[in-house]
Amino acid sequence: MKFLNFRNLQTIILIVVVSGLLFLALSGYFTPVFNLSLNPLISLQSWLSVRYLSARDFLTTPRDVTQLREQNAMLESQVTQLQTQLIVMEERLGEAQVCFALLDFGRTNPQYSYIAATVIGREISPFLQYIIIDRGTNHGVRYGMPVVTQQGLVGRVDAVIAGAARVKLITDTTSVVNIRLQSAGIEAQLVGSLTGDVSLDMIPLDQVVEPGDVVLTSGLGGNFPPNVFVGQVLSTQRRDNALFQTATVQPIVDFESISAVLVVNNFQAVDITPLIPEP
Amino acid sequence: MISHLVCALSLVVFFILQTTIFSQARLVAGSADLILLFLVAWSLQEQVKNSWLWTIVAGLLISILSAMPFYAPLIGYVGVVAISKSLQRRVWRTPLFAMLIVVLLGTFFQQALYVIVLLISGAPISWSQSLDSVILPSVLLNLIFALPIYAVANDLAGRISPLEVET
Repeated sequence: MKFLNFRNLQTIILIVVVSGLLFLALSGYFTPVFNLSLNPLISLQSWLSVRYLSARDFLTTPRDVTQLREQNAMLESQVTQLQTQLIVMEERLGEAQVCFALLDFGRTNPQYSYIAATVIGREISPFLQYIIIDRGTNHGVRYGMPVVTQQGLVGRVDAVIAGAARVKLITDTTSVVNIRLQSAGIEAQLVGSLTGDVSLDMIPLDQVVEPGDVVLTSGLGGNFPPNVFVGQVLSTQRRDNALFQTATVQPIVDFESISAVLVVNNFQAVDITPLIPEP
Repeated sequence: MISHLVCALSLVVFFILQTTIFSQARLVAGSADLILLFLVAWSLQEQVKNSWLWTIVAGLLISILSAMPFYAPLIGYVGVVAISKSLQRRVWRTPLFAMLIVVLLGTFFQQALYVIVLLISGAPISWSQSLDSVILPSVLLNLIFALPIYAVANDLAGRISPLEVET
């Protein structure tokens, strides 16, 4: 009976009570009690946690902003570099397209040899229609050589120095080009104007000229090679008591945006001025 | 010496701008003449003494480079600067007003001279078409660009030889 002494009995009772409490807790009987006691603790914990995270963000954010700014600056630098490369590539692409077009014109007209030139300036006076190109006598350009693009006739060399030349456009007021209307087989003169428009003159009244007729150089006069495309007839005008009819022409070359040209260097212009009888 | 250098460099810059950009920026068929505007603005600066010299130099160079016959640009620029100098003495207290007046009169004078020269050389142009398509648009463009060019010339002249301020 010594086994059932006071100390052993206390231990047994304690185990039974703890087991009972565990059984009751696991069975869910103590849930309201737990909720009541834990909820304030959780609230306090979450309040503290939120404040701690806020404080940590406040203390660590400036470092992140600095890093982000550095990254942003680096990325902006890369974007700028890429944009610069893109612009360079686009410029090269544009130049290549012009070169391909000029090369294509050269292939389709193999009877002539060409000097490719870039337009570097324009005449200062608004009364005159001239361009300045970056090829001169050093490159084989001579006075009177015809100038074309892949589209058609541009003009002829009017003055030349070692490294540059001045080209009189067919739109200039003093420019006269002998042309041929392809469909009708009529020969006439193409003249420029102050505004840069070109028109046909000296068309006989008995000839029929239709809008859309193709205008080509005739080669008469010896200033330009024959059969170079000039433009198309837009409209015709007949005046009473006039000896000839006139027509407006849409040039095939866009003279406002011309950037590269071909100088025909194996065409020898003929000066027939001494052969023209003086009145 | 530095005044000559600045004027020469400015003329080179304005010549390049004129031939590459402003000759292509057209209103109808007219265009602004930056070189004329700079010469006028330069000649209106009180402290500038070399305007005649550079007008002649610029006029000669433009005459050589331009297709305009008979050295017409030289005569035109000298005439415009002569108008500028004569007006400078009369309206010297309001140089900005003088600039606009000189640009107006000078552009008319220069363009009329060009028409006369072209007519003499046989170009088939008419006065009415020249006035409508070239002269009036050019006058308008020159008046628009007159103030910025005057500001540039005034700033350059002021930096080269600042006026003495009376105390």
